[in-house]
Amino acid sequence: MNDVALSKNGARVLRGFYALVVIFLYAPILVLLVFSFNNAAIPAFPLSGFTLHWYGEFIRNTDLRAALGTSAEIAVLTSVGAVVLGVLSSLALARRVFRGKGAASALLLSPLVIPYVVFGISLLLLFHQLGVGRGTITVVVGHIVITLPYAILVLVPRIEQIDASLEEAAFDLGASRLRAFRSITLPLILPAVLSAFLIAFTTSFDEYAVASFLIGTSPTFPIYLYSALRFPSQLPQVIAVAVVVLVVSLTVVVAAEAGRRIAERRRGLVR
Amino acid sequence: MRQRLLTPSLLGLPLAWLGVFFFAPIVIVAIYSFNVWSLFPGPHGFTFAGWRSVLHSHVYLHLFWKSVQMSLIVSVIIVVLAYPLAYYLALSGTKRKYILLLLLIAPFLTSYLLRVLAWKVILGDSGVINTFLFWTGLRSPDHPISQLLYSRFAVMLVLGYIWLPFVALPIFVTLETLDRRLLEAASDLGASRLRAFLRVTLPLSLPGVAAAFFFVFVPTLGEFVTPSLVGGASGYMYGNQIVDLFNTGFPDWETGSVLALFLIVVVGVLTVVFSRFLQPQQVTAE
Repeated sequence: MNDVALSKNGARVLRGFYALVVIFLYAPILVLLVFSFNNAAIPAFPLSGFTLHWYGEFIRNTDLRAALGTSAEIAVLTSVGAVVLGVLSSLALARRVFRGKGAASALLLSPLVIPYVVFGISLLLLFHQLGVGRGTITVVVGHIVITLPYAILVLVPRIEQIDASLEEAAFDLGASRLRAFRSITLPLILPAVLSAFLIAFTTSFDEYAVASFLIGTSPTFPIYLYSALRFPSQLPQVIAVAVVVLVVSLTVVVAAEAGRRIAERRRGLVR
Repeated sequence: MRQRLLTPSLLGLPLAWLGVFFFAPIVIVAIYSFNVWSLFPGPHGFTFAGWRSVLHSHVYLHLFWKSVQMSLIVSVIIVVLAYPLAYYLALSGTKRKYILLLLLIAPFLTSYLLRVLAWKVILGDSGVINTFLFWTGLRSPDHPISQLLYSRFAVMLVLGYIWLPFVALPIFVTLETLDRRLLEAASDLGASRLRAFLRVTLPLSLPGVAAAFFFVFVPTLGEFVTPSLVGGASGYMYGNQIVDLFNTGFPDWETGSVLALFLIVVVGVLTVVFSRFLQPQQVTAE
């Protein structure tokens, strides 16, 4: 069928343009990859030889490993918090009919639009006013706020897809609210819960702006990176870490998306 | 009955969390901006002085306009670039559209700082581009192209690079839900593809375009990380000014709070203006 939206040549031009943009998007990442194996203290041409030295340096760097650990801890606590609050809000938004639902949903999603610099400062002032010391917990508190909307956006459409009569059947058979949730709703929304968890985890793990105002003495990975970027001598090993993190996060993202699609297809609920 | 009791118990905790850790802090910023609370002990009380000095200061307002211009240019350019990409993926009938979309979006889901780092490595005086030019003899090592890094250009390039994948998504969503029968009808009635595009597709996809613009313009307007890493003095943005008022050796929380609240008000107004174009599924790859 000759298409109404695109001529053959049009499609060819757009395909070429798409390819150029993808090259533009991935070339810088490729540059990091190449220079992470380059045997020179400064990333510059000409390339001077292959080495795994920088990866070794990174593995031996205890500060860096500690920062990765701090970030992982914050990201796990954040995702658990965001998923719990997200499931509660999504059940209300997707299942209940109540006055002020539009307003409630707007309030719950409003952290999506706040500039992070402003939010970081606002929380800093709150904790200053309350006399709470800064540390990993204060970062977790902030990260839960900014990741909650993402959790809700992933969970609500999923809960809406589930037939409410399944839960009603459970009640008719004498199950409590909690029991019905645990044995009917939760298993059905599990793929979405996992995506919400992953989105919250990766967002928190990567978040610099809010964390920079709220962290105490032990830096997160992005904060460590940011300060390392100011010392050229550390650049090559930072590049090595960059490559590891980029490859891991790309793999997780692609695997999560593929896994979700397979899981949902197997249940025969989607497309 | 059961339902009525349950809704507050479901929403109570999330709304309380946001109340304490999101809305109350913004109120505190407002209180600081009127100097009712202050970083320094000593006499202070309600005053408009902070607001008056900011609104009369050429420095802050000028910086704000500069940031608006930079974000505006970046947002418009990448929306224009992303439109044909989304159009291709949504309407060309390619079977692999979701895979191609994921390929486009994947960089956005990786580390933000590391993507900035990549450009720092590429653009520096002794960076990849310049040393490549020296090495190939296209340029003498004494005269690197030094405007590449630490410039307004660098900030806009990196911001565009970072947000481009994200922008394609809302446009893709509206184009994908477009009823193709409308295009067939236009074609049957003798409209050329261009005419059908201008009269049908483009107007129907404008909500997605508006949403895409909004989702880039708002975060880049308050941006401070990219300008502080690749902007130098000429790429300094409004967000950097806010950070410096809070973090330097000479903090001025009152002025900083005025600037922060001003930004919240601007973003709030933009959100209300754009709200009819915003749909939840535009920011998730569902």
